[in-house]
Order: sequence, then C-alpha cells, then structure tokens
Amino acid sequence: MQAAGLEDPDQGGSLTIISDIRANAATSGAGARAGSAAGPGIVRIGLIGCGAIAQVAHLPAVLSSPQVELAAISDLDASRLQYLRRRYRLGPIAFRDYRDVVGRVDAVILALPNHLHAPVGVELLSRGIHVLCEKPLALTRQECEQLCQAARSTASVLAVGFVARFFPSTELTKQLLESRFLGELQSFDYEFGSPGGWSPLSGYNLARSTCGGGVLVVSGSHVLDQMIYLFGDVDVTSHADDSRGGIEANCRTCFAATVDARPLRGRVVLSKTHQLPNRLRIVGEHGTLDVRGSQTRSVTFLPSGSTLRHEITAAALPPADAEPDYFKPQLHDFVNAIRTGAAPRVDGEQATRSVVLTERCYAIATDLEEPWCEATLERLARAGPDPAPDPAAPQPPALASAS
Amino acid sequence: MSPERPRRVLVTGATGLIGGRLCEVMALTGAFEPRPFVHATGSAWRITRFPLDFATGDLCDRASVDRAMDGCDAVVHLARGDGAVMRRGLENVLRAAVTHRVSRFVHISSVAVYGSEPAPDSVSEAAATRPDLPYGHTKLEQEHRVLRYHRRRGLDVVILRPPNVYGPFASFTVGMVNTLRSDGVAIVDGGRNPCNLVYVDNLVEAIFLALWRPEAPGQVFHVTDREPVSWERCISDHAELVGVDVPHVTAAELAPPAQERVWRDSLRALSDGEVQRSLARIPLVRRWFQCLPEPAKRALRARLHRWDPVRRNGSPERRFLADHPFIAGQKRTVAHSSEKARRLLGYSAPVSYDEGMRLTAAWLRQAGLE
Repeated sequence: MQAAGLEDPDQGGSLTIISDIRANAATSGAGARAGSAAGPGIVRIGLIGCGAIAQVAHLPAVLSSPQVELAAISDLDASRLQYLRRRYRLGPIAFRDYRDVVGRVDAVILALPNHLHAPVGVELLSRGIHVLCEKPLALTRQECEQLCQAARSTASVLAVGFVARFFPSTELTKQLLESRFLGELQSFDYEFGSPGGWSPLSGYNLARSTCGGGVLVVSGSHVLDQMIYLFGDVDVTSHADDSRGGIEANCRTCFAATVDARPLRGRVVLSKTHQLPNRLRIVGEHGTLDVRGSQTRSVTFLPSGSTLRHEITAAALPPADAEPDYFKPQLHDFVNAIRTGAAPRVDGEQATRSVVLTERCYAIATDLEEPWCEATLERLARAGPDPAPDPAAPQPPALASAS
Repeated sequence: MSPERPRRVLVTGATGLIGGRLCEVMALTGAFEPRPFVHATGSAWRITRFPLDFATGDLCDRASVDRAMDGCDAVVHLARGDGAVMRRGLENVLRAAVTHRVSRFVHISSVAVYGSEPAPDSVSEAAATRPDLPYGHTKLEQEHRVLRYHRRRGLDVVILRPPNVYGPFASFTVGMVNTLRSDGVAIVDGGRNPCNLVYVDNLVEAIFLALWRPEAPGQVFHVTDREPVSWERCISDHAELVGVDVPHVTAAELAPPAQERVWRDSLRALSDGEVQRSLARIPLVRRWFQCLPEPAKRALRARLHRWDPVRRNGSPERRFLADHPFIAGQKRTVAHSSEKARRLLGYSAPVSYDEGMRLTAAWLRQAGLE
C-alpha cells in the first residue's frame, strides 16, 4: 500500500496509514497487536541493545521523530538501563530480557553485538516485529538467509543500518556513474583508516566470535555495501590482512567488477592502526571522482588533464548549516517501509551480499607482510623463562612458520 | 605464591605502544600468556589481532582489577592516564597483586624522574631523582608507591626506567616524522648530546627478564639501546626517511620557551607604534605612565623598543622553539646506562640502532608515513 506524501516525516498519519498499520497488526502476530498507548499512525519502537551506537545515534533519532514512540528499551546491563531512564525521563519501559518487549512494540532497532543479530532478529521477526538491524546483518550468509526468511514468513520489514547509504553523496555518485559522467570507468580505490575508534561498551569487538571479523567488518561493511551498490556484482580477487588468529586491524583487498560490459578493477585498503586518506576515488576516462568520508553532501570531480576541482552537489539538496544526522532519515525510511509496504533502502537481501563478500575475503586471506613484527622474535624468546618444553603443546604461530 | 617462572601475565596499558608490542611478542613466542587489561576497547586493535584472554575494565574500579588479576602469575604495569589512574589505579593493581600472590610486579617508569636536565651522575640508577615536570613527579611518586609494597608487603617488584622509546607505532617516531615534515625541528649546536633511545623490542626483552630473573626484585633498572646515538644522528636518520633537510642552528637562535614568549609577544604588541598611540589616548594609562619615576619610564621605553621581530632566512619568526621536546631534549648531556640491567638480568638489547631504524622504516612505509 502506498500513500502520497509519506516521504515527508512531518506529515502526520492519514487514514491510509492507520489502516495499513492495522492491517499489518492483523496479519503479523502479537508484536503489532498488543498495546495501544501510541497515537494513531505512530509506530511503537523498541531499542534492543543500549550500547554506544544506540545511545549516540539511534536513541536521539527515535526521541526526535514524530512518527515513532519509544515503547521499550532492553539491555542486559541494568545500570545502563537505569542511566537511560533517568537521563531521558523514560517511563517503566526498560527490560533486561529482550523477550519482554514482545507485545509492547511494533518494531525494534537491533543494536546488539554482531553475533546476536541473527538469533534475536529471527525470533523477533518470526513474531511479526519489524526489525532495523545494525550492520552487519549477521556473521554468515546462512544467518542472513535465516533472517530474510523470517522476515518473509511474517511479511515483516527487515531493514539494515547502512547509514552511509543515506548520505546524499552516495546517491549522487550513483547518479553520476549511471549517467556515464566519468565515461568508461578505469578503477576505484577505497582508503579508509584512523588509529583506534569506536569503543563498544560490551567489548564484543575484541573477538571474532562476537564481532565476526576485524576492520573489514567494522569499517569495511559500509565500504562493501556501497561498492556493491555502485558497481553491481563485485568479486574479490585477493585479500591480505594482519590477523594472527584474532581479528585484523589492517587489510588490503582487490576486487573485480563488470560495468557496462567492461572489466573494472578496484582496491580497498582499511586500517585501524593508522591514518589513511578516508576517501573513495573512482577513475574514469574523463577524470577522477573523489568522495571523502566527511563529504556526505557533495562529490569532487577532477577533470583529466586539468588542475581544476569541481564540487558537485545534487540540485535538489537544500543547504545545511551543520552536518545532518543521517540516523533520522534512516529511521524515517524504516517507518515508511512499515507503513507502506515499500522496501527499505537497504533490505535484508542487499545486506546479505556484503556479508557474502566478507566471507569470500576471509576465505582467501593471506598474511600482510609485517617484517617489524617477526624479525626479532627468536632473540626475544631467549629472554623468556624457558619452561620445560611440552611436546603436546602447539608451536607458537610465528616461530612455527619461521622455522 | 605463584610459580617462580610465571606463565600468565596481566598487562595493564596493553593498548599502548609498549603494552601492545609486549602482548604481541608474548603471544608470538609463547614465552608468556598475556592477559591484556583493556579500558577503551576501540584502542585495542593491535592486540585483538591475536586470540588473547582479554580483561576489560577500569583500573580505578577495584572489582574489575581484582577479576582481571585472578589466575595471573605476574603483572606488567604500563597504564598511563589521568591522576586517578596514575594513583588509585596503580594502588588497585598493587593491592590485587598482593591479594592474588603474584610472583612478580614489573612497573614501567621513566628517566623523566631525573628531570628535564638530568645531573651527570644519572648515568646510573644510584643518582638522586630530581623531577621538574608533572610527568616526572607522577612517575617518581608511582615508584615510591611500588617500592613501599615491596618493603611492607613483600611484593617482588621491579622498576624499569626507559628513555625515549622508538620503533613502529611509537609516538616518539611518529612525532619526529611529523615535526620534521612541519619544519619544527632543528639540530642545535651540532646535536652532539646523546638522544637516549631504546628500541621497543629491547624494552620488551628487559620486561621478559624482569618477570622471572631472581636478581630483579626490589631493583630499579635503566633500559636503553646498546650504543648511544647522538641527536644529530637520530634526527638526520628520521629526516632521511621522510626526505627533508634539517637545519642546523645555535641555541641562541631558538625562540624562547612558552612562558617567556607570552611576555615577549605581549611586549612586542605594546611596542607597536599604533598600539602605543592608542594607549596614550586613554587618560588613565597616560596618568599612570606620568606617575612613574623617571628611571622606570626609561626602562619601560627601552623594553618596548627591544622586541623587534628577529628574522631568519626570510621568516618573520624564529621557527624553532626552545621548549619543544625534540629541541629541549638536545640539552640533556647524560647517557643513561643500562649496565646494571646487563649485569644482573642478562639484558642484551638484541636490536641494534641500525636494525631498529630499518624495521621502523618498513613500518613507516606501510603506515604511509614515510
């Protein structure tokens, strides 16, 4: 069902919207049926997982939206829930067990550690609760497919939080490529890196079992999703990273795509230990397109054979004094999908493609060379206490490979 | 008491330069099993490359320190932070170490305890400590706290005092490269004084030895590279890596320290004729000046005219600040010796300066800093 004017978040509910939500409630189970405190047309939202991204991005977006009501928050950490209740003067809507939100919400934002996206998401979708899941959708292709299947089985919305898709610069780049503004494409190059970064409160980012990977997942999932969006089917040709059994902090990956029936090569360099230029660069026969990480509203065109730089913005883009909060349009897109049945901007199937690509990268991973890491190890090992050798003990990886 | 030859080692400050490399080497050699104590999980990327037994928490929270210490045989304390971390955090780690009866507590201090211009006798650890900057004071206070636990609670502590730590990921190295790129460093008076360096892996060797050698408890050790390197060589070698020329200046050509610059720049602004004429139009200022005794008036006039900008190579200002760490450090005449660590611990500083710089250059290339 579609209703005119639904793209404008400031427009209130209409009869069409209300009937749509009721129709959804009638077909999608307990989640949408229970509770009726929210006003007509208002979507009751639950926030599952109240860590850093939830507090910094999702909660402010929910609280500022006239389209939704914050109906529940859930986190294992009771003190965190208490803090949020006090800070935002919330009613008795905090639950340590996420299952307690069922019956109180129409939809949830799933901001749990990555390894919990699939089990919790499948359970909620199966109960007819719409899900906006933080990226990455899940750790494996199989988990992604389970999530998509659960969404299909209850006709629930499964949207995925690739917030960079809501940057006007992403859409502008797509338009320019589709209009063959650069002519024949020659290469693309992503370089994103800075020392350290986001510190999830739960510490799930410390292990592959809970995070699913390192920089390729944490920063790279945005890159891979955008790359697939811009260039279509992309395959990985080589991937090297610095994981030593844990999660990689640096990686260099090469990709191949076919655009306009011509082969296109690309490279992605990601780092969590040092600064990189933080930009996408696309080279074509007419020049180079640069999109810096901080450049969310425009792109830069450097024509071939010229020293000029052209800043390009979308014609319809209104001026903005400050950097917009893109979690708001992401939430609006999710709500719009719930109300109208339209697909969200990034649905489960699209998000699955970046997870599949991540799996392929890890499957062919080789070691990045780090001579400074290995060169002195044998000499340093001599300074250890030299315990009696245990024949059953496995060899340390580096020395084993060096010998 | 934990075994004499510890296996599982709690490493505080594990996300920093030394802690990160220490955990790496422990994991790669299998010499010890590190348990990195992590506060900001987003800063732990170097060590999350390994499947380690991480402990998360806050050093100022006794319970989380206690949990982290459980099952550890020894501790290497490298954490830095605000006053609370440096005092209460250290106290919590020491207390937990006693409670859990660890066999060794290795505390990383600094030669900053000798002050910014160390006395000649600070070649050896027996010299008096004379910190003159907040960091040196805090490190010395920490040493006293650690040694108190040795004397009163019988904790086997070892204190290591490294100088400038260089190598991959080192802030000394990155700082030097960036300062050279921004023309902020010069070789002063030939740069003949010793730079007092230790390559990070040499420090790791010393920590390994301090963790188990029976001669170590209760001792304080300098940990430096084998051969002293002059500032001239150190700066020139870094400059070569980034492809810049380094100017040579004399001490007299340096811009004065910050405190002095505030006065100088204020007086210089006052010496501007336009400013003086404006001030002279303010009756209160005029009356105040007229009330001054004649010698004071003359002195003030002379002072105001003294602060003409000094030009060097066409630059409106002298570029090199006397209190910049890479400039001020060149005044230190002492080469701290790690002879005691060699004698008692068998410290060998296995990585020469040349090799250390080669490995550093390889890292700089990959990090895009060369």
